[in-house]
Amino acid sequence: MTPAVESPGTPAAEGTAGTRDRLAGGGGTSGEDRGPQAVQSWSKQGAKLGEVLAALPALRRKAAGREAGTRTAVMTIVLVSSGPASSVDGDDEAQAAMSSVRSLGAHHPCRAILLQPDPDATPAIDASACLWRAEPRSGAGHPVFFEELSIRVAGQAASHLASIVGPFVLADLPVVIWFPASLPDPADPLLKLASTLVVDTRNAAGQDDLGHVYRTLLDLSSTRPVVDLSWVRLQPWRELLAGLFEPEHNRHFLEGVRLASVKGKPGPRYILAGWLMAQLDLRARELSLADAKHVEITLSAEAGEEEGTFEVKRDEGSRAVWARASFSGGLCHNQALPLPDSSLTTALAGAVSYLRADRTWERALSAAATLA
Amino acid sequence: MNGAGGAGGPASARSRGVGGPAGDKHGAGGAGGPASARSRGVGGPAGDKQGAGGAGGQAGDKNSLPRNVLAEGLETVRRAPPGALVVFGASGDLTHRKLLPALEQLSRRRLLPAAFGIVGVARTEMSDDGFRDLMASAVPDAGPGWAEIIKNSYYITGDYSHPDTFSALQKKLSELDESLGTGGNRTFYLATVPDVFGEVALALGKVGLNKPAGGGTARLVIEKPFGHDRETARELDATLHQVFDEDQIYRIDHYLGKETVQNVLALRFANAIFEPLWNRNYVDHVQVTVAETVGVEKRGNFYEKAGALRDIVQNHVMQVLSLTLMEPPGSVDAEGIRGEKVKALRSVVVPAERDVPNIAVRGQYDSGWVEGNAVPGYRQEEGVSKDSQTETYVALRLTVDNWRWAGVPIYVRTGKRLPKRVTEVALQFKEVPHLAFPKEAALGLNPNALVMRIQPDEGVTLRFGAKVPGQAFVVRDVLMDFSYGAAFLEEPPDAYERLLLDAMAGDPTLFIRSDEVDTAWGIVQPLLDAWSAGAAPLAGYAAGSWGPRAADALLERDGRQWRAP
Repeated sequence: MTPAVESPGTPAAEGTAGTRDRLAGGGGTSGEDRGPQAVQSWSKQGAKLGEVLAALPALRRKAAGREAGTRTAVMTIVLVSSGPASSVDGDDEAQAAMSSVRSLGAHHPCRAILLQPDPDATPAIDASACLWRAEPRSGAGHPVFFEELSIRVAGQAASHLASIVGPFVLADLPVVIWFPASLPDPADPLLKLASTLVVDTRNAAGQDDLGHVYRTLLDLSSTRPVVDLSWVRLQPWRELLAGLFEPEHNRHFLEGVRLASVKGKPGPRYILAGWLMAQLDLRARELSLADAKHVEITLSAEAGEEEGTFEVKRDEGSRAVWARASFSGGLCHNQALPLPDSSLTTALAGAVSYLRADRTWERALSAAATLA
Repeated sequence: MNGAGGAGGPASARSRGVGGPAGDKHGAGGAGGPASARSRGVGGPAGDKQGAGGAGGQAGDKNSLPRNVLAEGLETVRRAPPGALVVFGASGDLTHRKLLPALEQLSRRRLLPAAFGIVGVARTEMSDDGFRDLMASAVPDAGPGWAEIIKNSYYITGDYSHPDTFSALQKKLSELDESLGTGGNRTFYLATVPDVFGEVALALGKVGLNKPAGGGTARLVIEKPFGHDRETARELDATLHQVFDEDQIYRIDHYLGKETVQNVLALRFANAIFEPLWNRNYVDHVQVTVAETVGVEKRGNFYEKAGALRDIVQNHVMQVLSLTLMEPPGSVDAEGIRGEKVKALRSVVVPAERDVPNIAVRGQYDSGWVEGNAVPGYRQEEGVSKDSQTETYVALRLTVDNWRWAGVPIYVRTGKRLPKRVTEVALQFKEVPHLAFPKEAALGLNPNALVMRIQPDEGVTLRFGAKVPGQAFVVRDVLMDFSYGAAFLEEPPDAYERLLLDAMAGDPTLFIRSDEVDTAWGIVQPLLDAWSAGAAPLAGYAAGSWGPRAADALLERDGRQWRAP
């Protein structure tokens, strides 16, 4: 097989060059960014690992101008595709995940490696590599260059992914392993490379034994930080509800919650319910869970003679989320905020900003495991 | 509804006040873990002595208040506690251009509390609805939260010299405590002309608004300039202190709200490799540059009375300099940092008036070309006198009398209509003691430099020598660059956003203490005196150049030259 050197503007590049995702950070003022541009790319079917390793510096040498000689990276991120793929771009979810990583490029450049294991196919390694250039957000400063690698591993080697990915990991930087469409097998030796795991408990929502899934994730989190994208997406709801209890008058109601109602799809519903259960020391019978399209939380509480209702919900048809506190005494607080961006890029941005264990999530998951 | 009730809940969870689900090392609130709502101790980490807190909503402000357990895990975010923001000068330009957009951004970032109200005060006749319209017009593309804040905003028309203005304010704030639950927390922001700072502060004192109400907080935020010279700064301070304690006063220099200025602290004190070199043994000299391409724009009237020394050097430059020169603080808190900053400023040698011509250059821009545009000279600008003696450029050579910096000159330059907008601090290191290569092999080699770029291309650059690839042994300068925007996802907040939030949350770290202001005035006062006595001629420079020739000569006398930023 012969390597194919592609020029800038390949179909893959064209598909992403116009990516215009707003970054996380609470709706900052950056405006829209021009998406990264493919500068050089390389691919080969039936490649040897040494050839892939040689291809990365070669891309930089071939790239026009001196700037591409400078590599900027803050981590290595390994994306593990679920199930076999017939080609290096055959897995839509993995490709969407890769696109999200790329969208962060100008602000959080990393070496991204997409692994597509295919254990039942004829042994081979098909690989492609691409060098990307991202412009700085304000127009001031230098462009940022970063690399992207896709490796389809067919045959027995698919069960030894650590040996494939190890040589590509950047020294001295965190290694984040992300399972975009599945949950990791705790016995997978690949996990030993990870300084942080990124998962999405939303992917497990359809499974029969969610409790087992949650307990498995808790086991994984005992040895390294695990960041749950679903939990990251729920942060605005948690912030809004917590904010309702900031006024001194309202704080006392935290000790008198009688009923917590959580609506939403199963994944977020159980985790939010677990969070309330753990933080407020609620019993399961003090929770009411219901299926709904959008997340909605209502706490009914009392403090002395006064009763209060605290709710965070999205009005149907509205692009705003409302946080409301109302009391039997007549006082009422309202706060409306823009509907948080739920895109994969924003969730990922929230996840990789702070690569550390989240004990609140662990407690929430532990309690959710008793509910699911 | 799939009620989660029944006996399926955690068996031991109901041990109220003890813990959560037991038997799991990740147990919710189990032994060793943070306790849950019903077992929480009261209070939390204290904020300032007025009980500010607000960071992540974790602080239990009042002694008997339970902690907000739902805010656990959200500590990376600092939020304002419930309260009211009173803006004096609410109809003015600063409010419209800076404060309101900053507040809207805080709202958009979910950093304002639900119990939050704004009261605008100004002489301009306006109704509540008129003020609300003004708020809406300040942020045309606002998020939905802004409408809710606008709804909780009010306006008081009144003269600052009339007691009725402040009685009306007092009444409105009490109403907000009742209707919104603002808890007696009040932040008074003086976005007025500096002439009325003292008057407003005293009037607030007369109606008792200087004292925290009902266990809340009362804080006064004022903008630079803090006085016109050292004497008037001291007079202002004395007036403010008649009614407000020092820990209630938040003096804003928006430079300190810039992320990259704060990053000077991180670079110095979160890294072991720089601090050992950060002294007279390795540093040859320091250069601080604050260069602007703009002229005085429409601020001619103001600038005529200020000049570059008062407008930039006394505040912005002194703040950046103090962070660069200070000793490591015992702790990175308000008093730890501000104490060390003052010590650093006190070590700067106050020049004698007779030495001023030797250590300072002042200049004024003539017409020229900047960024491809022909621009007029300063004296042709609107509001500027035709024979103005106001300086638009200052270059200084300062020295520092302490163990760390003795013998290391600090060169400062700032000016308008310079070729490039840039603010940076550069540590120029000493040359190697012996160059082992032939001289011709190192022609492109300069001493190492560490440059902290504050704006616009925020980051850090280290200059060092490297071998040019090839058969010959030739060394040349190369730059190692860290670009602030290319490593972090979080969008840095605008300086006003950061400082407004800090003031409301009661964190005075990035605000200037009274003794800092006084010490900074002490350094520049001899220059003001000498210049007003005609001790140094005003040198002209072409707009678009790097300043007067005399500024180059200032360094050339020491065998050095300005960097090309």
